[in-house]
Formats: sequence, C-alpha cells, structure tokens
Amino acid sequence: MPPDATATRVGAARTAGDRLAARLPALTIEADRVAATVAQGVHGRRRTGMGETFWQFRPYQYGDDAADIDWRQSARARQAFVREQEWEAAASVWLWCDLSRSMDFRSSGAVPVKRDRALILTLALADLLVRGGERVALLGTGERPRAGRAGLNHLTRLLSQADTAAEPVLPAVALPRHARVVLISDFMQPIELLTPRVAALVAGGARGALLQVADPAEETLPYAGRVLFEGMEQEGRELIGNVDVVRARYRQAYFAHREALAQLCTRQGWQFTAHRTDGSAEAGLLSLYLMLAPRAVS
Amino acid sequence: MLDLGLLAFTQPWLLTALLTLPALWLLLRLTPPAPRRVPFAGLFLLRLQAPEETPARTPWWLLLLRLTIAALLILALAGPLLNPAPRLAGSGPLLLVLDDGWAAAPSWQRRIDSARDLLQQAEREGREVVLLRTAPDRDGVRLERASALAVLEALPGWQPRPWPVDRAAASAALAAAELDEASVVWLSDGLATSPETAAAAGGLAEALARLGTVRILTDGPAEHPLLLAPPTPRDDGLEIRVTRAGAEGPPQVTVRAVAAGGEVLARTDLTFGADDLATGALTLPLELRNRIARLELTPLLSIGGTVLFDERWRRRTVGLYGAHHAAASQPLLGDLYFIHRALAPFAEIREGAVPELLDGPLSMIVIADVGTLGPGERVALERWIEGGGVVLRFAGPRLAAAEDDFVPVRLRRGDRQLGGALSWSEPLPLAPFDPRGPFAGLTPSAEARVSRQVLAEPGPELARAVLASLADGTPIVTGRAIGDGWLILVHTTANTAWSSLPLSGLFVDMLRRVMALGPGVGGQIEGAVAADAVLDAFGRLQRPPADLLPIDGADLDAALPSPATPPGLYARLGAGDEAAAAGRLALNLQRAVNALLPLDSATLGRATEPYRAVAEVDLAGWLLLAALLLLIADMLVALAVRGLLPAVRPATVGLVLVLALPGGAWGQQADDEHIRDLTQSTRFGYVRTGIAAVDETSRAGLAGLGAVLEQRTSIETREPVAVDPAADDLALFPLLYWPVPPEHPDLPEAARDRLRDYLRSGGMILFDTLDAGLLLPGQAGGGPGERRLAALLAGIELPPLVPLPADHVLTRSFYLLQDFPGRFAGQPLWVEDAPASVNDGVAGIVIGANDWAGAWAIDEAGRALFPVDPGGEQQRETARRFGVNLAMYALTGNYKTDQVHVPALLERLGQ
Repeated sequence: MPPDATATRVGAARTAGDRLAARLPALTIEADRVAATVAQGVHGRRRTGMGETFWQFRPYQYGDDAADIDWRQSARARQAFVREQEWEAAASVWLWCDLSRSMDFRSSGAVPVKRDRALILTLALADLLVRGGERVALLGTGERPRAGRAGLNHLTRLLSQADTAAEPVLPAVALPRHARVVLISDFMQPIELLTPRVAALVAGGARGALLQVADPAEETLPYAGRVLFEGMEQEGRELIGNVDVVRARYRQAYFAHREALAQLCTRQGWQFTAHRTDGSAEAGLLSLYLMLAPRAVS
Repeated sequence: MLDLGLLAFTQPWLLTALLTLPALWLLLRLTPPAPRRVPFAGLFLLRLQAPEETPARTPWWLLLLRLTIAALLILALAGPLLNPAPRLAGSGPLLLVLDDGWAAAPSWQRRIDSARDLLQQAEREGREVVLLRTAPDRDGVRLERASALAVLEALPGWQPRPWPVDRAAASAALAAAELDEASVVWLSDGLATSPETAAAAGGLAEALARLGTVRILTDGPAEHPLLLAPPTPRDDGLEIRVTRAGAEGPPQVTVRAVAAGGEVLARTDLTFGADDLATGALTLPLELRNRIARLELTPLLSIGGTVLFDERWRRRTVGLYGAHHAAASQPLLGDLYFIHRALAPFAEIREGAVPELLDGPLSMIVIADVGTLGPGERVALERWIEGGGVVLRFAGPRLAAAEDDFVPVRLRRGDRQLGGALSWSEPLPLAPFDPRGPFAGLTPSAEARVSRQVLAEPGPELARAVLASLADGTPIVTGRAIGDGWLILVHTTANTAWSSLPLSGLFVDMLRRVMALGPGVGGQIEGAVAADAVLDAFGRLQRPPADLLPIDGADLDAALPSPATPPGLYARLGAGDEAAAAGRLALNLQRAVNALLPLDSATLGRATEPYRAVAEVDLAGWLLLAALLLLIADMLVALAVRGLLPAVRPATVGLVLVLALPGGAWGQQADDEHIRDLTQSTRFGYVRTGIAAVDETSRAGLAGLGAVLEQRTSIETREPVAVDPAADDLALFPLLYWPVPPEHPDLPEAARDRLRDYLRSGGMILFDTLDAGLLLPGQAGGGPGERRLAALLAGIELPPLVPLPADHVLTRSFYLLQDFPGRFAGQPLWVEDAPASVNDGVAGIVIGANDWAGAWAIDEAGRALFPVDPGGEQQRETARRFGVNLAMYALTGNYKTDQVHVPALLERLGQ
C-alpha cells in the first residue's frame, strides 16, 4: 500500500477512533504491580505515595522525616501526625496493531476491512488511555511511552508511517518489567509461531490483552463450489474442489485455533477476546475497556 | 439433399457431426468449471484439511445446455428447410411458365412464393431457368433465359399485369424453343375468358408436355376473381351484373358506387344464382348517378371487380342559340350572357345556329328570345327532341311579337307587365315548386322577381304543362315531353330586361335541373390521347408509367386492354387538369373479358395440382439465432458460477417494481412523466372529436405530415397526440389540428378557457371544417362544418379573420405556395389578421375547409389512405407542402417575414 493511502486510512481511523473514544469514560488502568515501571503520573492510585493531593494523616513513626509532620494537625492533638499524599502515577501501555497484508481483507461490501477496524480500535483505545492520563507507545518502535494529545498524535503519525508489509508476527522486543501490552491482530498464524513471542513478553513481566479481529467469512467460510483460495502473504494458493465438503472441518480448525489463543492468554494471566468486523466497533472497544479497566470502575 | 417430408437438409453429410455429441458430453463432464478466485487469510487452516479432492462437477443442466448449442450449430450448418420444395423433375433447365395476367391478382403472393421455392430449388440443383410470362408486355410474349439467382432477385418486384394472358402467343414462343429434358412448371391462374382462350390453354399445356415433365398448378375453384360487367343504365339507376367462375365461389358479393373523392354513393348486395350470375340494381337519382367515378366489388380482389366510369355518362354539352348579340362593351345586355355564366362550370358550351349545333352531340339547346324559327331548323329540332334532346326557350320581346307555335303551350300575343308605371301590381316572386316536378326541392328566392312575361293561353292541357308558376299562379315555366325529349319554355327573358331571376342563384339551379333532363353526350376525343390514370391488376388507380405512348383518340373506342393501352382513364393530350378531368374516357378490362371459364384437368388434358399453402422456410437462421441466445445464457451462467455477476439487490428489484406500478399514488409522477415525454421532441396534437373515423384520419394525417417533415426539413416530430381541450395541457403543442365535422360535440367551459389561454400564449390552431367535399364549386363557405365551428367558438373572443393575403408568411415559410388544397380544393383559407404587436404578428388561427388530414393521411406502409380530388397526386403534393409551410410557420413564427429574406425570395420568384 502506498504511504499516502496508508496515511489517509490512518487519518480516517483516527477520526473514527476519536469519535468512538469520546463515548466511553476515561479509561484507567489498575496500577498494581507496575510501580517500578511508572514515572510520576497525574492521577491517584488510591494509596499513599508521591503526589500532590492529600490522602490521609497518620501518627508519626520513627524514621519519618520531621519535615513530613503536619504541624497544624499535630497541634490539635497530643500526638504528632504525618501528612501523607495520594500516590499519583501514570501507567504505560504498549499497543500493537497488526498492519500486515492479511489484514487487508473483507468478504463483502457490507463489512469493513479488518485493518481499518483494527486501526480504529487501536486509536480509540489510545485516545481513551491518554485522556485517562496514561502513556502510550507503539510496540516495536522502540520509542518511550508518551502522554497527552501530543503523545496520541505521535502515535498516529507512527502508525501512518508503519510498513504495511511488516512481519505479521509479534515483534520480539524487550519491554520494561511489568509493562502493559495490548495486541490487536487477526492472529491468523499457526499458534506455534505466536506462543514463543507471547512467552517472551510474559517473561519480561508484561501483562496484557489480545483482541482478535475476524471477518465473518473467516468464521463461516460461506463459499460454495469450486474455489481457488489465494493466500495474502505469499503463502501460495489452495484450490478447493468443493468448499461444501471442507466447510465443517475448516470451522472446527478455526475455532480450535481461537481456543488455543485463549488458552495461551489465560495460562499467562493475560486476557483474550475476539471481535467480528460485522459487529460494531463500540462492541470491540468495550471489550478492550473491560479487559483493561479496574474492577471498581466496571 | 436429404428429404424427410416436412423437413429437409441441403448438406446432410454435416449431420454426421452429431455423432460427436457423446464424446463432447464426456469431455464437458470431465472439465470442471473455472474456479472462483477468493483472497483468503486463513489458508494455513485450509491446508490442515485432508487433501482429498471431490471436484464440483459441471451441473447436468449446464452440460445439456452446451450439448444443445453444439447440436443446434450442427443442424443449422446442415441447411435445414421446413416444408421443402420437392426435387425438380428431369435433368434439363427449369421452364417456369407464369400466368401474370389480371386473373392472377387475387392470390399473387402465393404464386410468387411458389415461384421462389421453385427457383431456389433450381439454384440448389444448379439448373438454368427459362422464364415464360404469358401476359404480354411491350415486346409480346417471349422466353427469357436467366440464372436462377438473377430471377430470384427480380422476383419481389414482379406485379400481375392488368390485361389478359395470351396463351396462344406463349405456345408460339415455345415452338421455337430448344429445351431438352426440361422440368416444366406452369403457375396457372386456372381461368379462360372464352372458348377460344380455353382452347389456347389446352394448346399451351400440350406444347409444354412436349418439352418435358409438366406440373400444372392452378388456383382452387373458390379462389378465382369475380368479374363485374359494365352496368346498364336504367331509369332509376344502374343494372349490375357480376359473374363468378364456378359454383364454389362466394355466394354473395357487395357492389359499391364510389365518387371521385372516394365517397360511397350507393351499395347493394347481390346473390349468385344457379348460372353463376348475380344481377341487381343500384338505385340512385340522376344527380348522384352522375357523380359515380367507379363501381367496385367489395372486397376488391382484382381489376375484374372494378368498372371505371368516364365522363361520357355525365358530361353535358349545351348549345346556345340567340338572335341578338350585344356589343362587347355591353355584355350584360346580351341575351345569352347570364346563361353562359350559369352553365359554364357544369357543361361544355357551344354557340351557333341550330344546324351547326345539331352537328355534334348535345344534351340541351338553349334558345333565347328568338322570334320565329326557320322551318328547316324547326324540323331538325323536333327530330332531335324526339331522340331525347331538351330544348329550353326563353321568352322576350321578339317571341312576344312573333307567331311561333314551337312552344309547349299556346301563347297569347303580347306580354303582361307587372309593376309598371300604369299598373297597380308589383313584380312577383316565384311560387314554391311542385314537389313532383323537375324543380322539386329548390327554394324560390325572394330576390328573383318577374316584372314582365308572356302569358299562356288557358286551356285544358295548360295545368299539366306548368312546371313552375309565379306567386299569383301564372305559369312561368311550361314544358311538354315530345318523344324521349323535352321542349321547355321560360316565360320571361334570359337577361335582366324582364326579370331579376337571372341574377339569382336559383337561375343556376333551375338551368342545371333542366339540363339534367337531357342525355349525357361524351363522344370521342379528337386528337391524341394519353393515359391520365391507369388501373393496376388489383384494381387500384395509379399514375401512368412514364413510357406509355399517346394514341389516337379515334382508336380508343376500339382499343382492348394491352401493354400499349392499359385499362384506365384517358384524356386529351396536353389538356389542362380541369379540361382533362371533364373529358376523360375510360378503358375497362371488361372490354376484353366478359366471361370466366375455369380450366380443369379435362380442358388442359392433364392433371393439375393446387398451390402449396405453405412456403419453404429456411431454418438455418433461426437455429443459429437459438444457438446464439443459448450461448449468451451459457456465458451468464459461467459468470454467475464464478461470482462475477453483480448481485441483483432486493432494493433494485423493489425500485423496478415500483416504477412498473401504474396509477394510484404515482399518478402525479406519471403525469409529469407524460409531460416530460411530450416535451422531449416536437409533437403535433389533434383535437379528439369523439368520432372515431375523424380522429383516426387526424392521427394518420399528422403522422403522414410528420413523415414528410422528417424527409424534407429539419423538423423531427414524433407520433401525434390526441388532445382533449377540456382536460389536457394545450401549451405543450406548437400546432393543433382541429377537424370540425358537423357532429362535433359541444365544448365544455373548461375547454374554452384553455383555448383562450392557448391562443393568447401564442399557440396555433388549424381549424378544418371538412366542408370542401360537400360544397359545390364556386360556393365559398357556409357549409355545415363551418356553421358548427361558428357555434363552437361562440363566446370566445376571436381576433378578426381575413382571407389569406397573397404575401402572407404562410405562402413562403418553406415552399412558395399560392393555393392550399387538402383532400379537396377550392375553399379559401382564413387567417387571423394579427397585429404585429401581438405574438410577433403570428396568426394563431387558421381556418379552412379542405380536409388536409385526409390528404396527408398515410397507413403504416406509408401509402396514402384517401384519394385526392380533383387534382390527384399533384394536389396531394401541394397539400403536403402546405403542411410543411404550416409547421414551419408554427415553429419559426415571423422569421420569413423578415426583410432579410426579400432579395432571396424575389430572386426565386424570378423578378
């Protein structure tokens, strides 16, 4: 795909993503076990820590810095109180949107191309995260997570410059420990290829979620008669003499593949969900939201 | 050639290709249809499948479709013929003998079809063709040798000839022929017209039999034409005789008398008797009888069913004899002036002394105020009257003074004066006419008054002799029958000295009535005559062929229908239209043919066979067409299987259905659609009168005008539209044609409003009162249609009308024209005298009476529907030009009034 077309497409997806994100409350990520990776953030984590907002008073203990004592509060009682602030921190989320050729598919004019849907979901998610004060980065670019509108714009720019002929598999990169990762793809690769990459991320202590974007035709195989299936990433072609004969077995294999993906995730404590392009993009974003949002919010 | 009875193949060996069909079946079965190509991401999942391949077979119906295509192609190439013609006998050339005389006309097409089958067969068998047409042409009857292909090409142009066949000449032509082993086919009409011609037919059959195997095809006994004999005049009409060829012919026949304009004057049904003769009478008064132009059978199958009347039946010559000739400077004082003026339109007039007059044929002699006739004159006149002549005398000072008893009643000496200086009485008008007398039905005119007259001596015979009298009962016209003729006296003068009668229209009518008592005298035409119109073998009048030579008028009476003198109407060479129309002589087929004898096997000496009812049909084209259609279907199926056909969406289907739904809620849209349709191109409208015949003529007329416009001008119109002025929007039509027959229904108020708006906004209406066919020559206006039009338009504010000025735009908007005939001629055209300030000075109303639609009207094949009277095709052409001018005027308005065109117009006018 020429860069211009990609840029246009990403731009359109950005607009759609913005619109989508505006309908959901700011997404916040629960902040447990990521302390080491976070820099100073802007929203409270409902626990004591570094921050600007008052959180609680507690009695002075040995070892507390004298400068932390709140003299006004201490003067009301006989005991010295230490003022504690709420810990304010921003999470960093690494997003990955599959832009490979196999995503450039739709089975009919009634459903969007898989890549468009994936882009919309990625950007909408990024928008939500940024509005929630988190930082976002694109997995595989090696750049640090950025916050705010500028960060979102940077992400958009990166996406529009991304090589569409990129390796469809997950990039194997080193992430900071306990990073959050969201992977959006059709995952139409043998599970054996995916497992090591996910395992590598898990080994780095990352937690995350997988969203499989699927065209309805990939689930149902609605063709009939003699059909020549042409692979989309130099996999060659496959002539099926009578699709009716193979349909049942194909569907079996397809859902087995999805099941394997789900298992791969749950085994690592990750989350997995599938999204069909004939469903609405809001449904996809909501499932992402539910996977990432703290339980208290949902 | 493989002949299977109903079906034959010209290239039967190609049928062996049908044996390959089973092989084709296997081949097609093994070749699966081309796969549909689909990009797909989940290829690795598909590859997990066991590699077993169960290919989708070509469906059996598709297989059958393709085999059918192959079979159709093979069959088409094998040259299939439905109802094939049998093989030709013999081995030599095909001798085709064709009876193409008048009797072949009723079933001419079947003859041509049979000839085509035979010629095609001869072409397939590679035989030479020798042609013998038994009706002579200019070169007589002769053998023609040609290739089958050349004859096939000429075949559609052949027409039967309107004269009898000459089989004796055909036999003679064959005598010199050298033909071996010929296959002889005689396409006969199966009729002879006399014992001699029947014998000649037998001779021809014999001559043919000497040359080879003979097949004789004849019409069935029920298919021969009928023969209408020239009628015999009777007192009250015409006696009609129709002959049929055999008892199998039609049991009944209808005879019509038709006027020159195509109007049916009388009709009668005749039933054939045991002698195959149907006799009867057409009863009609003399006036109508004189208008008959032709008698014809209905349906008219051939020229044998029509008899042309020539003018010798009705044209009258009147001799004028008067003693006193006024000086040229004072013509009104002449004795004969008014008689001359009154009779000139209706009769040929000769002047002279009695012996000179009696030299030629005459219907009537008018003698104006001659005192005493010479004894010789008197004897000659008396003899002439006894033979059927009519002598009309007028009184006057000289007759009053003379002793002359060559009058119907005894006269008193002297005269009676009314209203003079010494009299109490006043000039008297005429009393109503005796309904049984010759003037029955005429209305006395109040202006026609008699101031002096000669008086009849009262006597017992006077009452019987009075034909008309004055209001006080004095006889004014008396008459006496002498032998077959009449002697009639008008008791006053033929000029205005004694009476104002000669100034009134009544005078003309009375003279015509008297003239009608006399016989028609046509006589010969002197000098060279040429055909003015000829009949074709189907009995239709046509323009004469250009290469027809004139003949001497004296020979015409003895001439028989032949190539040099085809049946038709002959007129003096070089005579003008009027004179030619007045002096035409008819040459009818019936001069040569007066009996019908069917030829049968006994007469011909050999077996005959009927014509084949069905012609040979070459099926190859149809089979190829079917194969092509199936091929297209196959292609569509193949595309559909591969998913390349655009899906038909339900929405599209719905839209189509909605568009197809008529009426109801869609009425408004349909109306818009209608208007859009009307405004897509120029369309002329005609006002629907509710009288089916008039409306159909209007439609056909405007369609004919449209065809002319398309041919000659850049105006392209589509089908004319019937308009109801009360309901339709008139503004869509640049020109409305509005026929106003006397039965035209009243206009509702809404129609008047719309009409007013239409005219105010620049529309143009051609009102056609259709009166011209009903009015007498010289009578201008006042017909029933015109009266009806005046009643219809009462209450609509009409602009002033003027007779069309000679420099009006209508006379030069496309053609330069000065008269505007339609189906009839002679009535003036009235146009609105539009001031230049209103609608650019373009007239919105044009009123005439000439039945233009009748002249323009054509049928689907482009033939004129109605005859045009009296000018024939020339007049029709002028009528069409008027139509073109009118359309141009309606569409371009005053463009041609622009001074810019004056130099060009002057140049074209040769000034």
